[in-house]
Amino acid sequence: MKLYRKEGNILQVLNFPNETVEKGDYLLVEDAEARKALIAQVIDVQFASMPGVLEELLRSLPDGGELLQGEDVDPLEIAPHITYIQDAGLVLCKIRATVENDNLSPSSSWLPSRSQSTIRRLPLPTLLKLAKVEGKLPIILGSTKDSSLLTIDASSLDGRLNIITGKKETGKSHLSKLLMVNLVGYKATVVVFDLNGEYHSLGISKDGKRNAIYDKIHVLTPGQNFKIALKQINLHVLLGILIHALHLPGTSAREFRRIWQSLKERDNLTLHELGETIRNWNCNQHVRDALFSRYHSLVNSGFVTDNIAEANLLEECLLKSKEHGGAVIVNLRNTGSIDRQIVVEYVLGKLVESLTSWKLKATFLFAEEAHLYLRETYWDDIVTRMRHFGIFTTFITNQPDTIRDNIYRQADNIFLFNFTNEHDLDVVSRAARVDAETVRSIARDLPPHHCLALGKAVRDFPIVVKVKAMDVKTMGETRLFFTDTASD
Amino acid sequence: MDTTLPHQFVELSLNSLKHIQNPSFQLNQQNIQHAFNYEEPPQTLRLNPKPILLKPTYAESIVSAVDTSTIKIGDTSTGMVIAVRGASVWKQNKHYRYTRLGPFIYHITEENKNYVCNVLERTYFSAQYEPNHQAAPNLLQVPTRIANILERWLQTMLSKTIVNGLILFDGSLTSGTADTPSQRMREILANARTRGNIVLAFSKMTTLRVNGHLITDSLPQHKPPYLLEADGFRPKPPIVLLGNIYVARLTKEKYAFRVDIDKEVPPESRIEAVQQLLGNDVFAQSYPETLRLAHILCTFTANEVLAMQHFVTRRFGVQIINRPDMHRLLFGPFGRGEIYS
Repeated sequence: MKLYRKEGNILQVLNFPNETVEKGDYLLVEDAEARKALIAQVIDVQFASMPGVLEELLRSLPDGGELLQGEDVDPLEIAPHITYIQDAGLVLCKIRATVENDNLSPSSSWLPSRSQSTIRRLPLPTLLKLAKVEGKLPIILGSTKDSSLLTIDASSLDGRLNIITGKKETGKSHLSKLLMVNLVGYKATVVVFDLNGEYHSLGISKDGKRNAIYDKIHVLTPGQNFKIALKQINLHVLLGILIHALHLPGTSAREFRRIWQSLKERDNLTLHELGETIRNWNCNQHVRDALFSRYHSLVNSGFVTDNIAEANLLEECLLKSKEHGGAVIVNLRNTGSIDRQIVVEYVLGKLVESLTSWKLKATFLFAEEAHLYLRETYWDDIVTRMRHFGIFTTFITNQPDTIRDNIYRQADNIFLFNFTNEHDLDVVSRAARVDAETVRSIARDLPPHHCLALGKAVRDFPIVVKVKAMDVKTMGETRLFFTDTASD
Repeated sequence: MDTTLPHQFVELSLNSLKHIQNPSFQLNQQNIQHAFNYEEPPQTLRLNPKPILLKPTYAESIVSAVDTSTIKIGDTSTGMVIAVRGASVWKQNKHYRYTRLGPFIYHITEENKNYVCNVLERTYFSAQYEPNHQAAPNLLQVPTRIANILERWLQTMLSKTIVNGLILFDGSLTSGTADTPSQRMREILANARTRGNIVLAFSKMTTLRVNGHLITDSLPQHKPPYLLEADGFRPKPPIVLLGNIYVARLTKEKYAFRVDIDKEVPPESRIEAVQQLLGNDVFAQSYPETLRLAHILCTFTANEVLAMQHFVTRRFGVQIINRPDMHRLLFGPFGRGEIYS
């Protein structure tokens, strides 16, 4: 390989057919005299612009579109040299760092010698060692192209905002389960908003037996084993549900506040009493109607109960998880849109409450397709305010445009699976921790189950990894109609 | 006569490259491809304004063509490195086939130029020709000389293998030059006639004029295809013309070419040969596809020049030195050689 050009932080390297380089590979451009080296990542592989190639190709195709048949007598064997020149490639690389005395710096401000520099592939284990990617709490994400393992440190997810995105059936949920299981293994508290009911069997291995984390997986299904009692709820949590999930107008909310305080003073916070009080409350008829309709929504959700005994599971699970680590899976699979929002409002409110009162130290929140249940104002809350309380969120989505730009800009880690749609790539490329060219070029060609890890977890060296398989019962498979045909 | 693979071309090529004394060579700053086309000084000749109208004859016959090309790969301290390649193309059963020979790469110096040319002449054309035809070429003429030897050899091969076909040459049927001894051309034409073949030579460019106008510009208002017959052309000895000159406009486009047809062939057979060609080959811009393919196949592309430079460097350890082009250095964009687009 030969250094051809440097423009900004883009290197152009000429490579010949016997030197195999692919997108995502790292190259080390060493200038022995300067005692420095550039670490650059291949973001595209093109044909070198060789003069005469077009003529060469054209003249082999003149016979009605078929290849012209004939014999080439080439006694000096020049043809391999022609092929060698014709197949020369131009490798576009993004400079990631400079190595000087085994220290890395993000600089790309110096120019290595074009004639004297040597260029070779940098094995990923060497890069990871240089970048000190491994830590004390290793999470093996999977294998890289050169069959080495990519291990990140669990602490690189701690206090961070993460995004897992990619098109359908590329392995997003699988990666989120992998991260979750590992975090639970390190005694972390994890809360999952499980939209499709695919996390609840994480404690069961493929052969149907219980695995090591079986006891740490707590599945809460709203309306079934997950209910709340009015007595347990703080007024501001309930108001949050009424205003944001049930869209209660401000005037009505003020009346509700009075009703609530009245019931609380009488120590009569039950569903029945709430209904009766609204009915008899001295207020405008429209306000009463508004309150009644929200009240019935709460009743019909089946999520609110007067039975205290069946209403303290969330807190219990969180406390258990605090001691030994664990995952609270909020199963939203069969929950309607409104009820889903009620549940999410409650869980988030409860989490903030527990964290504020230091009942919990910190929580890793995994939110699948969060746009389906997270209200607008929560996005900013999650990445700013809630982070300070100790809620560290991982968003998982196949619709990247449902996550706001400011979330991408503040994301610390992005695990990017395949996208072919230009619009989707555009959205993701707005992330602050990666350049648009890398996202566009590498993500487009990622095979299924391969992801491009970006951000702090990989010390800002984008690395393509094949996410490792897990011995857990899979529940995320799409239900099919033509099952027999599909299996053929 | 040697009718096998031109091994002497290979041996001489390798020998010449092995004996590069100073292993440094300068990239050629002007890769000029030479297409060999002897044009006689303008003569007084007449062009019959009455067109000979043509009707394509579709009875199948083989159409074949030959062309060669040479290019300078670079300069060395003692000479230059050149490459030569030739191609024969024939159309049979509606499909084109080709044989391409080369490239043969030579290091030509003042010391070896005569040796290289003489060995090739002796090997492939044993007949002794007039002494002036063996005259040593100057260094710049050697590539042309070698390419001509290859071209005549390929033409000989075609004339000896094809039966009742049409053989297309690039250029004219003028001979008697240092590169094309008349005896050699006569032999090729005789060989062709013996097997019922007719040779037609297409000149892409001509300098022949009638009343001050190029013969290919003086076209009557008549629907093509047609031929215009020229006569009265008397080249100065030792140059001889072995064909009859025609101007051929074979398609609707306003292009016409000088076509020389073997003069030993009866006039009606010459016309019939052109009609056969019309019926058996594809024409674009009045030029036969077979000959166009022969030209395309032997022409060197820039990519191939790079590959040959790579070969010479790798195989023979010749270091390429890119000396500045003095024309560009002195005259900038006004220096010849580079095309600025």
